[in-house]
Amino acid sequence: MSRDRLVIVMYAFIASLLIGSSLVVIYYESPERLIQGEWVEKEWRLEKDNASPELASSSQLQEGLRKEILRDVEELHLGVWKFGEDRTLYAADASANRDLKWLIKGRGHVLELRKNGKPIESFQIQQISAERLVLHLNFDLQVKGIIEIVLERKDPTGRYAEKI
Amino acid sequence: MLRKYSNHRTQSDNVKLGALTAFSAGMVNVASVTVFFAFTSNVTGYYAVFAQELSKGNWYQGAVVLLWISLFFTGSFLSNLVIVQGRGRWSQYISHAIPVVLEFLSILFVGLYLDFFYTNSLQETEFLVAALLFAMGLQNGLTASISNSVVKTTHLTGLTTDLAILVSMFSKRQNRQNKALVDKFHLLLTIMTAYVCGGVFAGIGYLYLENGTFYLTCLILLVIALYDFYKLTRVKHLFDRRHKEACSA
Repeated sequence: MSRDRLVIVMYAFIASLLIGSSLVVIYYESPERLIQGEWVEKEWRLEKDNASPELASSSQLQEGLRKEILRDVEELHLGVWKFGEDRTLYAADASANRDLKWLIKGRGHVLELRKNGKPIESFQIQQISAERLVLHLNFDLQVKGIIEIVLERKDPTGRYAEKI
Repeated sequence: MLRKYSNHRTQSDNVKLGALTAFSAGMVNVASVTVFFAFTSNVTGYYAVFAQELSKGNWYQGAVVLLWISLFFTGSFLSNLVIVQGRGRWSQYISHAIPVVLEFLSILFVGLYLDFFYTNSLQETEFLVAALLFAMGLQNGLTASISNSVVKTTHLTGLTTDLAILVSMFSKRQNRQNKALVDKFHLLLTIMTAYVCGGVFAGIGYLYLENGTFYLTCLILLVIALYDFYKLTRVKHLFDRRHKEACSA
């Protein structure tokens, strides 16, 4: 293949990358669409805790910090997370609705929660599929921990309503 | 700062260009992370993220990263294309100013879009970050091209490596006396400092100006684009005045 033709192939390849990736971004099921609906909290767990078992005093400190962090995060214990199309996050208990708004940022890997227009928390979306959503809440580097929240789509097949 | 090319550039030209462009790149990067949770001058990292997303089967996220890398590539490509194709067609200053003007328009577009149209949707976020990566590609392509790859303002990995190499070279006395090496060290240190300062400035500035940070970046780019225009106009004006004086005498 001549170099002139190779250059044309190269330009065509770059153009196809641009067009192809743009089309995927426009038409493929994005995390923003995927997250809409109701999700049930299945698990809350603290991962990567750096508390050393050998250091009792340090462990106590970590435990104290852990309690403090969990107290702050407790506000987000919604039970059922309903991500509305209007980007409102509804809790199962209607009285607990605190005007929470949800936004997806970055390359679709960050879930940001806002209250009265101000960001209150952001999560790394570790996994998102039609049935399962795993969120990581990063907190203070001092503790080097991650709270992992595992959610499952509430009744993905619609049989839940029939059961009731 | 812009009109000279390759080896005709002085150390002062490179320091001025490097400092101002790195400052603006640092500002754009931090503003983007704050607004969009996405870096705009982290292409090395994006290659790794692209591979990671593909391995996890996250096609959407993979496509987003591919789009961003492609736009950075396109920016650098376009920048050099204008310089190469513009040679002999229009003045060198115009060739070098066009990428800065395009970068200015890209960042201005992002600022205006955020102020008047942004609805916080993910798709908008992806395309606005893409516009910023395109702008950074334009800038990096321009600075690297006209300075013979001496100035690279968004490539901090390479810069840190070069800086480390220079610092290790200064362990030998004769290298410490080598003006070329010392000049290069000063240039790299200036770029690194300007980039960090730009980031800090944008981080603090965002608290007060919010999307206005992008307009401030545009202002810096305007200074870069018009600095040589001002100098050229002034030289022409002085030349004309002297010519008139000579004729009247």
